[in-house]
Amino acid sequence: MTPPIRRLVLDVLKPSDPDILEVTAVVADCSAVDSVNAVLVETDREVQTLKMTVAGGDLDAEEIEATIQDAGGSVHSIDQVICGDRVVEQSPTPQDR
Amino acid sequence: MDRLETVRSLLSDETVRSISRRYFISNGFDGTLTSIGISVGAYLSGVTEGITVFSIGLGAAVGLGTSGVWSVWEIERAEKQAELLRIERAMLVDLDGTAVEERQTGARKINAVASGIGPLIGIILPLLPFLAGDVVSPFEATLLSVGVGVAILFCFGAYLGSISKQHWIVAGVRMGLAGIVVAVLNLFLPG
Repeated sequence: MTPPIRRLVLDVLKPSDPDILEVTAVVADCSAVDSVNAVLVETDREVQTLKMTVAGGDLDAEEIEATIQDAGGSVHSIDQVICGDRVVEQSPTPQDR
Repeated sequence: MDRLETVRSLLSDETVRSISRRYFISNGFDGTLTSIGISVGAYLSGVTEGITVFSIGLGAAVGLGTSGVWSVWEIERAEKQAELLRIERAMLVDLDGTAVEERQTGARKINAVASGIGPLIGIILPLLPFLAGDVVSPFEATLLSVGVGVAILFCFGAYLGSISKQHWIVAGVRMGLAGIVVAVLNLFLPG
């Protein structure tokens, strides 16, 4: 059985309309999603880049990506995944500056 | 999202409201002036039956209403398609079948309906006095018709004035004046 995905951090490009509220709300409406944090990273005349952090019990990455696409956006990359029985944050290492 | 909620969401979008407002007022203005022209022209031509004047007006309402819906449907198809292509170029993705495209189609429908309702209101309301042929004479019906037309134009102007922080009475009078000008110009037409 695949271990559950607890958190996804996505780099999302979307049109200016629908706005960040609507896109965040439709992602939050996906199954197993407890909460979504969307941050505006960059804005252009026609498009906006969002850093979207999705948290939940057993996230369906494909469903979330399809939902974002239906809303007119596209997932450029998955920047972080936390998967397993509990949430593990990054451990600091000497290489981190 | 059900249909009512979609419409509500679109109507809360200032861009959709702004474009619809322009079409509604512009075509409503056309319709009202047409209606004033019909009523004054009919009286000066000696048409005494109010129902005849009203029927002619209905024909004009059908024409202008259809024109309003059809032209805006096609104009907005092109405009929104161009906008979609701009977004697709910026995003490097195909947006067919997405919420963005559905939203544009919904906005186009609202724009077209607003465009069609404008002339219907502008033509039918001023011609209603002609249906009261038993109560008012043709001359009185014509005067009432011009009065209703000018009042509608005043409302259009006052509304535009109120949303743009102009003095609503001044803006209303400026629009209403057009109705009086059309009525007076009709007096100088040959025949």
